[in-house]
Amino acid sequence: MIPKSIRWRLQLWYGLILLLVLAGFGVAAYQLQSGRQWRRLDGELQRRVNVVVSGLRGPEARERMGGDRINLDRPARFPGDQDDYREPGRPIRPERPPADGAPRGPIRGGPSLRLGPQQLLLFDQDDTNGFYFVVWDREGVELARSTNAPARLVMPEVPPRVRGPRPNRTREKWREAFIMTPPGEIILVGRSIVQDRKELRRAALLLAGIGGVILVFGMAGGAWLTARAIRPIHDISNTAARISEGDLSQRISVRETESELGQLAGVLNSTFSRLESAFAQQKQFTSDAAHELRTPVSVILTQTQSALNRERSAPEYRQSLEACQRSAQRMRGLIESLLELARLEAGQEQMRRSPTDLSRIAADCVEQLRPLAAERGIQIETDLPPAPCSGDDGRLAQVVTNLLSNAVHHNVEGGIIRITSGSEAGFATVRVEDEGPGIAPEHLPHIFDRFYRADAARTTSKGRTGLGLAISKAIVDAHQGTIEVKSELGRGTKFTVRIPV
Amino acid sequence: MRLLIVEDEPDLLSSLAQAFRDEGYAVDTAADGEEGFYKATSWDYDAVVLDIMLPRMDGWTVLQKLRATKKTPVLMLTARDQSRDRVRGLDSGADDYLVKPFDLGELLARVRALIRRSAGQVRNVIEMGDVIVDTAARTVSKKGELIQLTAREYALVEFLALHRGEVVSRTQLYEHLFDEDDSTFSNLLDVHVSNIRKKIGADFIVTRRGLGYCIEN
Repeated sequence: MIPKSIRWRLQLWYGLILLLVLAGFGVAAYQLQSGRQWRRLDGELQRRVNVVVSGLRGPEARERMGGDRINLDRPARFPGDQDDYREPGRPIRPERPPADGAPRGPIRGGPSLRLGPQQLLLFDQDDTNGFYFVVWDREGVELARSTNAPARLVMPEVPPRVRGPRPNRTREKWREAFIMTPPGEIILVGRSIVQDRKELRRAALLLAGIGGVILVFGMAGGAWLTARAIRPIHDISNTAARISEGDLSQRISVRETESELGQLAGVLNSTFSRLESAFAQQKQFTSDAAHELRTPVSVILTQTQSALNRERSAPEYRQSLEACQRSAQRMRGLIESLLELARLEAGQEQMRRSPTDLSRIAADCVEQLRPLAAERGIQIETDLPPAPCSGDDGRLAQVVTNLLSNAVHHNVEGGIIRITSGSEAGFATVRVEDEGPGIAPEHLPHIFDRFYRADAARTTSKGRTGLGLAISKAIVDAHQGTIEVKSELGRGTKFTVRIPV
Repeated sequence: MRLLIVEDEPDLLSSLAQAFRDEGYAVDTAADGEEGFYKATSWDYDAVVLDIMLPRMDGWTVLQKLRATKKTPVLMLTARDQSRDRVRGLDSGADDYLVKPFDLGELLARVRALIRRSAGQVRNVIEMGDVIVDTAARTVSKKGELIQLTAREYALVEFLALHRGEVVSRTQLYEHLFDEDDSTFSNLLDVHVSNIRKKIGADFIVTRRGLGYCIEN
């Protein structure tokens, strides 16, 4: 399969689109997940900040708890917000809280921090990965810290006039929230985020894995779908290939006629049918023409071979030559008729349309054929009122002559031929009736076919090619007229030609 | 040897009849199927050349009806060369098949072969002691010397040779050596026989009084 095939291109595009959608979806899901996780963490931190704030006792406690209440519900920031981080000007005073985490007393007469056991439970004093807190007074002196607070902790710098919660910051592997109380203490609550990051990484891996599986299944499904969609096209192209190899009887099997491909197959099938019948017609025609030419060629071959076999008398040579001449003339007539028919059917023969009269044409033809009819004792009765029409005189005469000569040849000895003209509803008509044996109904539909003979045998020697009626029909068709035949066995045959006025 | 040619194209019929007569055959002709069938059943022809496209009764029908009563070898002539037609011809009892336009020499050879086969001969050459009849060259020789015979004399010798060992009646000889156009006199046959005896030898053809003639093995 070449990579340029529709199937592979479809597959490629489908894969690309699927990949983009999955990637977008994965990124969005990851963002959502991480955002939710950081928000939850920030919420936890904030809650603890509030707890620590509520535990602060000191001269400014009233002020702290008064109307100027700190809004602690400030939304958190995502990790990486480090704009408030600064290296402090002086070291943090190391003053560790008691190991049991019990509430501490006031420190240096300043504000004191009191946390109840329930509140202390919020800080995992033993777990370095748990929540920790550090409190600094307004001087930057560390007031309190939980036992698990990281040793290297720097006090966030807070612009002096801004009181209230500050955006959270992420520092190395810690996430920290801090706040400056109205009196000026800085409270920091943080937690290690190693675990969170691990979780997020796992989530990302999981997302990627799921995405990969979806991609694989999606591609497989896509391949199946494209194969399914392409299969009818394959059927069509295979059938077309077989047809172009010469098997014209092949057809595309149409399963769903309503679908686009079904319609295409239908159109192609009908085209193939027309092609097949045209080919069959062509083949039949060629075979018929060859068949018609074979007999005269046989005559010439046998006559000449027989004549040349030994010395002959002059009259014998003469006889042979005459026979050859007759055959050659027959072939000439056949070839001319074939060419004429071919030209007529190809529409190359131009009809000179001029006002004329079928009755006059018929009368002329009758006069020409009377001697031939008289030879067989046949009478021609005429009834020829004017029948004006527009057409090619010579061509129409050819049609009438052909019909008349058929009537003479197929008539009974001493029979009668009736030829009548007339006008009806925009057409000029001419009818030729004979009293011959008639044509059997099974032959009637074919008598305008080339080389069709109701009688299996030839009546060739009279110069009849088997193309007369086919040519007549072609001429009448070129005039947009009609030719029809009615026949009764044992009674005779009637041809009617209608030519538009 | 007597042939029937059934062909509706008069020029072809006449030239075929002429060609076969030149070869010493007695030739009857028929221009349509019915006449052909009538003649083919009325005489014992040595072979029939039958066209397929015939007026009144086509070649297929003639062949089919003929096969009901006679085993006469039939060669079909046709202008159709589809193998379907050939198969049909051979299947319906034709012994050979030739497509128009054909070569006259080939037609003559095929008819010769048909007649030879129907007489049970495999080869073209019939040997009777020191007399040899070559049916392909249409010659008779004795002790290696060619004997000059007229076409009619040759035909008589060939017919008796093909039926050697049998007594051939005068009627049979008339039927196979003369066609409907020949004016036949009974003594003509005796003249031919006596001429042949003079040329080949008195005891070559034996007369069975009241029965006919015979060439003994």
